[in-house]
Amino acid sequence: MTRRALMLAVSVLLVLPVVLLALLSVSRHWSWPVLLPHAWQWTQWRELLAGQADLCAVLLRSLGISVSVGLLATGLAFPTSRAVARHRQRGRLLALSHIPFALSPVVLGVALLYGFMQLGLAGHIIGVVAAQLIFAYAYAVILLSGFWNERVHALAALAGTLHANRWQVWRHVLFPVARPMLGVCFFQTFLVSWFDYALVLLIGGGQVTTLTMRLYGYFGSGDLRLAATCALLLLLPPLVALVVHHRLPATAVAVHFEVSRE
Amino acid sequence: MNDLVNSALHVEGLSVELGGARILDDISFGVDPGTTLAIIGASGCGKTTLLKTLAGLIEPISGRIRLGAAQVEHVPPHRRGIVYLNQEPLLFPHLDVFENVAFGLRMQHLPEAQVRARVTHMLVQLELDGLEQRSPHALSGGQRQRAAFGRALIIEPALLLLDEPFSSLDPATRRAMQALFRRIASGLNSTALFVTHDLRETLTMGDQVAMMRAGRLHTYADREAFCLDPATGVMREATFWQDLAVGATRDARHDTDTAGS
Repeated sequence: MTRRALMLAVSVLLVLPVVLLALLSVSRHWSWPVLLPHAWQWTQWRELLAGQADLCAVLLRSLGISVSVGLLATGLAFPTSRAVARHRQRGRLLALSHIPFALSPVVLGVALLYGFMQLGLAGHIIGVVAAQLIFAYAYAVILLSGFWNERVHALAALAGTLHANRWQVWRHVLFPVARPMLGVCFFQTFLVSWFDYALVLLIGGGQVTTLTMRLYGYFGSGDLRLAATCALLLLLPPLVALVVHHRLPATAVAVHFEVSRE
Repeated sequence: MNDLVNSALHVEGLSVELGGARILDDISFGVDPGTTLAIIGASGCGKTTLLKTLAGLIEPISGRIRLGAAQVEHVPPHRRGIVYLNQEPLLFPHLDVFENVAFGLRMQHLPEAQVRARVTHMLVQLELDGLEQRSPHALSGGQRQRAAFGRALIIEPALLLLDEPFSSLDPATRRAMQALFRRIASGLNSTALFVTHDLRETLTMGDQVAMMRAGRLHTYADREAFCLDPATGVMREATFWQDLAVGATRDARHDTDTAGS
């Protein structure tokens, strides 16, 4: 009974902010201590759907940046993590991978800004992707390094003796075995980019607007209803991804366990 | 032991060092075509290192490996035509039984009809027909080992390296697997190296026998020489069982006499 009550309380705590945002995005007048809004309006959503608030374009841009960062970070980190796992100085290399976290996005952004300005990447969407990629790549290398155990190396070696060349080992063995883990990695690095504010602000320099930046802008201007609408949009892709991959962590663990067990 | 020049496998002066320690020390031997060389040795004597070096998974510091007419010590693993089978049947967890067995054929881009025919035939030989769609985790230990054998044998490797393949099986399954391997390997005229730490398995599986100790390999002219060498422990083992049998017979006779009087 206590457990059920606790589960209910946790569920309510998790869902309540989303419900609050949804109500706020369609309310016109809502004052304390009334439980529900006095009056409703759909102006924010109409503006959004009509493209007047430019939110759709910002949403698509944000998606483009985050999907690119997720794909590139995961794609690059997979072979890197294998090289790190097989390296004699594995521990030292993994420690180096933590440097971007130690710096934090703000300090990393300041450090990168000068170089990116020289390269013409500041104020450009490619610059934002590149800056976020440095952070996400390091994160992905750390995450994926846990995949490479003795069994996975043995599977790769075995495939080699069964006529698979280096590319075929990657394509037919390593990628399929790692797929659930790669899915988790993509999702995590997507989120790193999706909720980033500091790097977009510093490297984008106001030229590149993402949904997170727009959200801060609405809060700054005091338009809470549009901010709530924007916040809901910000939540949408991660929620969809969570629903689609709600079994992914379990699958990843299962496959990893199976590979370890065999 | 055999004519090294005409061997299917001819190894000469093979040495391996790992982490500064000499694991294989100047090893030379040969294996006749279509036969199995069984190597016995205690844990840590270098058996697995020898197999991995032959498969190209470990780089030797010196020595030559000839397979048929080709020198292969500098050839990458996927071009050697040597298959190394681990102690445990490492099946690919994302593929079902059929695709596991078909793996090596698919890597060679053989026509689909040929792949289907050969895999189906192999599965029947392995008594795995009907389990084609099973995933590896739904198989028993013996079935997994049979699938791993099928996957290795189907590509008809020039040399098959078996690293204590039956060590994790129960005695009955182990005996059945030994017989199955002998039958299929003989049918395909496979040349194999079979590593084990079990005396009986050495004599059951090997057409030729050898013993490995501290990184050095001693090959025997025939089984009799192997059995007579005190280092192999065959005579000690035989004496033990003989004493046990004599003791059991004496006890049984004593029980009969006691009951009669």
